[in-house]
Amino acid sequence: MSSDPDAPSDATSTPDASRSGETLLETRGLVKEFGGLVATDDVSIDVKRGERVSIIGPNGAGKSTLINLITRRLEPTRGDILFKGESIVQMEPHQVVQRGISKSFQTASIFPDLTVMENAQIAALAAEHGEFGFNFLTHRDKLTDVHELAEDTLEAVGLLDRAHNDAEDLPYGDKRRLEIGIALAAEPDLLLMDEPTAGMSPEETQATVDLIEEVKEEMGLTFVLVEHDMEIVFSISDRIVVLNRGGVIAEGTPEEIRGDPAVQEAYLGGVEL
Amino acid sequence: MSDRNTTGESSTKSDGGTVIADNTLVARWEEIREREATVVGVTAICVAIFPWLFSRAPVISDVLLGYQSLATLILIWGIFAVGFDLLLGYTGLLSFGHAAFWGGAAYAAGIVANTVSADPIVMVVAGTAFAVLLAWVLGFLSLRRGGIYFSILTLAFAQMLYYMSAAPLAFLTGGENGLTGISVTPLFGVFHLESDLPSVAGTLIGNWMYLFVGVIAVLSVAAAYRILNSPYGMVFRAIRENEQRAEFVGLNVWRYKLMAFIISGAFAGIAGSLFTIHGSYVPLQSLYWTESGEIVIMTVLGGTASLFGPILGAGLYLYVENIVSGVQQLTIPFTDIVLINDFGTYWHLLLGLVFLVVIWVAPRGIWGAVSDLRALVRRLAGGDRR
Amino acid sequence: MSIVSELAVILLNGLQQGAIYVLLAVGLSIILGTLKFVNFAHGALYLVGTYAGLFIALDVTLSSGKLQEWGYGEFGLGWGFLAALILVPLFVFAVGLLMERFLARSFYDRPDTDQILVTFGLAIVVQELFRVLFGSNSLPFTQPEYILSVIPVSGPMQLPIVGSFPRWRLWVIAITAVLVGIVYLLVEHTDFGLVVRAGTRDAEMVRLLGIKISRPYLVVFGIGAALAGVAGVVGGPLNVVNPTVGMNILVPAFLTVVIGGVGTITGAVVGGLIIGLTQATLIGLPSVTIASFTLNFSPWSQVGLYAIAAIILLVRPQGIFGNEEVAP
Repeated sequence: MSSDPDAPSDATSTPDASRSGETLLETRGLVKEFGGLVATDDVSIDVKRGERVSIIGPNGAGKSTLINLITRRLEPTRGDILFKGESIVQMEPHQVVQRGISKSFQTASIFPDLTVMENAQIAALAAEHGEFGFNFLTHRDKLTDVHELAEDTLEAVGLLDRAHNDAEDLPYGDKRRLEIGIALAAEPDLLLMDEPTAGMSPEETQATVDLIEEVKEEMGLTFVLVEHDMEIVFSISDRIVVLNRGGVIAEGTPEEIRGDPAVQEAYLGGVEL
Repeated sequence: MSDRNTTGESSTKSDGGTVIADNTLVARWEEIREREATVVGVTAICVAIFPWLFSRAPVISDVLLGYQSLATLILIWGIFAVGFDLLLGYTGLLSFGHAAFWGGAAYAAGIVANTVSADPIVMVVAGTAFAVLLAWVLGFLSLRRGGIYFSILTLAFAQMLYYMSAAPLAFLTGGENGLTGISVTPLFGVFHLESDLPSVAGTLIGNWMYLFVGVIAVLSVAAAYRILNSPYGMVFRAIRENEQRAEFVGLNVWRYKLMAFIISGAFAGIAGSLFTIHGSYVPLQSLYWTESGEIVIMTVLGGTASLFGPILGAGLYLYVENIVSGVQQLTIPFTDIVLINDFGTYWHLLLGLVFLVVIWVAPRGIWGAVSDLRALVRRLAGGDRR
Repeated sequence: MSIVSELAVILLNGLQQGAIYVLLAVGLSIILGTLKFVNFAHGALYLVGTYAGLFIALDVTLSSGKLQEWGYGEFGLGWGFLAALILVPLFVFAVGLLMERFLARSFYDRPDTDQILVTFGLAIVVQELFRVLFGSNSLPFTQPEYILSVIPVSGPMQLPIVGSFPRWRLWVIAITAVLVGIVYLLVEHTDFGLVVRAGTRDAEMVRLLGIKISRPYLVVFGIGAALAGVAGVVGGPLNVVNPTVGMNILVPAFLTVVIGGVGTITGAVVGGLIIGLTQATLIGLPSVTIASFTLNFSPWSQVGLYAIAAIILLVRPQGIFGNEEVAP
């Protein structure tokens, strides 16, 4: 991770052109059953490096389950998940993060009693020093790499001036930004975002969309987005995957999805977009 | 904790990052207060004058009724409590089985003394090593389940150890009678632990035993403070705050929790070994769950998630147990009006009630209350800073 | 005695010892499963049950404690055992309701550790209160001889195969079986039970469905407490009675819950039987002499209980009947 050329601290770097187009994430016949309920039904999707893919679908379509399967929060019943060609279904969540998949939660999942800076430092620590270390007698002031990464991250999400506030004192929109910052500080190749604008005001939503655009430009990140707001989905996605009842019913560019009758029928209830 | 970043701007925590403009005494104190050398130095001074204040100073000691040996015991339990708080207060894991490490180390130190060497340093090293190994095994087993299961499993494994020492392993541990016949040899082969220090040091600190325990206590506080300021301190608090998020930033939460458990086991081991050296005897009781309960009570009473709160709690608990329990009549000071007769009988009950109230209304304990008071004073003194 | 009859005795002893654990574990387990509340004061309810049973059933001469100093050395109603068996559960049920209302309820939304700490504190306070009032000395809880003056419940009883067996122990098994059966039917086959079971699976969802869950919670707590009280009454005559009995029985009771799996009555029963039988077997096995080395099993009886628990949990961390998806 620490040797990754796409490190966010290196703002001038652009995505390696020769690698874009390569498949970063792939699910093969992914199935998740809860008791008798099939939440994910034979889902095979692939995400190419540098792409922004949105997953949409009505409530209960299995969007969050799919995200949770990829981040290893849930155990798939069947199927395989490949990241950079390597199977990750046997891994622990933190190992998946260390491989380069980071997740932004649906709610502001932060460390409330820690300062904003410490929140970023925790993620930076994992990015720079791996999943674990025996550095319990090393003073934190000595970890300049962690401090720099944390500072750059907070600057990127516009929270540097609040670095020394307790995270719980931030307004909700800032908490969400911090939460996205935590996900970014892990220096991911692939960022999974579970409804990043849920609960935000229109201004905050716009700021978040701008943030996503910015991050995309600067870091060449690959995104997988679960989002309800169709405006956002159609404006920032390269490709859209439509789920219904756990299975993929359509897949394509925003234009293709917009005109797909199956999508309109099953998901949009026939309403013209 | 210090969270100064590398740019070195002198900003204080929780004050919105405003730079202190006025160079008042308060501000300067704030600045040096958090420094490692300051913390260790102040601790050393407090440890050094404590026995004199407690058991020999005019007036004060007459009121307190303290004695040298109790001062030593308070430090020993203080070390235990500091380590326990790393687990409970900072990582958020409530172990009900730390008697295993305290008592286990006490037995290990005693058995080593009876069979290999009764040198105090050898005993401490042996006891602590045993506690670390045991914490590794029990932590590995108990941390398989989170939350309440962790508390129950630690309690269960510690009880298992108690019953093993009580009967099947009685040939090693002395069973119900405890481990006897320990005679600790002089420190470095020269200094008898029970003999007094020369001249002023003797008045101030007392005997070699206290000096030995005191030096280890200061080192323990220094180690704990360093751990809290290391990446671990931050990760521990992150796990307490939001374990799932910590896992999802890519940290191996399980291993960090295991390390928190082992580190706190090590502190318990140091304290347990010193307990054997101090008493030349290991009671079977030292493995019983009541000891685990006592360390929980001390830590919570004193104040979790603080470095000194638990030491304060240990001192208070032992003071009540050993001094207050001997008070027969509680009178209103300077009068002969008797409030409670036979007061000593109630000490445990009163402590239980105080504990209950603390959990209920002031979960941050005595130290938390002191901190709140300090924050209030600071706000009143320097209202322009916010 | 033949091997068969010895094994039968071990089995019955195990059932009896397990029965006490089952009574405690069922309450602990449904409270933990439904209310997500960890009750370290459950042993204190057992303690209350034992003392209440003692003082209702018998006239006791206190040898220490404040009551004796205050001139109440002769204490107790002497109404007989049946009265105790009926009144104590009602009394402890009420205690449980009070506990839920005034203590547990304010801690449902606080962290697990706070729940453990506050109930632990309560357990200490109760224990010390009893110590102050009734002294630390063990009190004699003589086994009842007759219930309703006609049904003999003490002394040995001749059974086929087993031979002679203490009658009271059989009664403990029978009473437990009946009570646990009733609770099982209540939870599995009534509307009340449906709410309880749904609450165990997903309390949030039940709340969203608009079911007022605080009353069932109150009742669950009360039932759990009453069972602990019964355990105290029937277990009292089999063990010593002193203020520490509550805390001492808490650990095996919790182990029972953890082994069986949280929130299942079946689990609590199986867990209790495993622990009881393990203990009885290790106590009952004759010592084995290999060469000059004699191995005596009975000192291992307490250790064995924890070892079994450890093994089961290593193989199946959620407990035998525990549900992985539900377990926190």
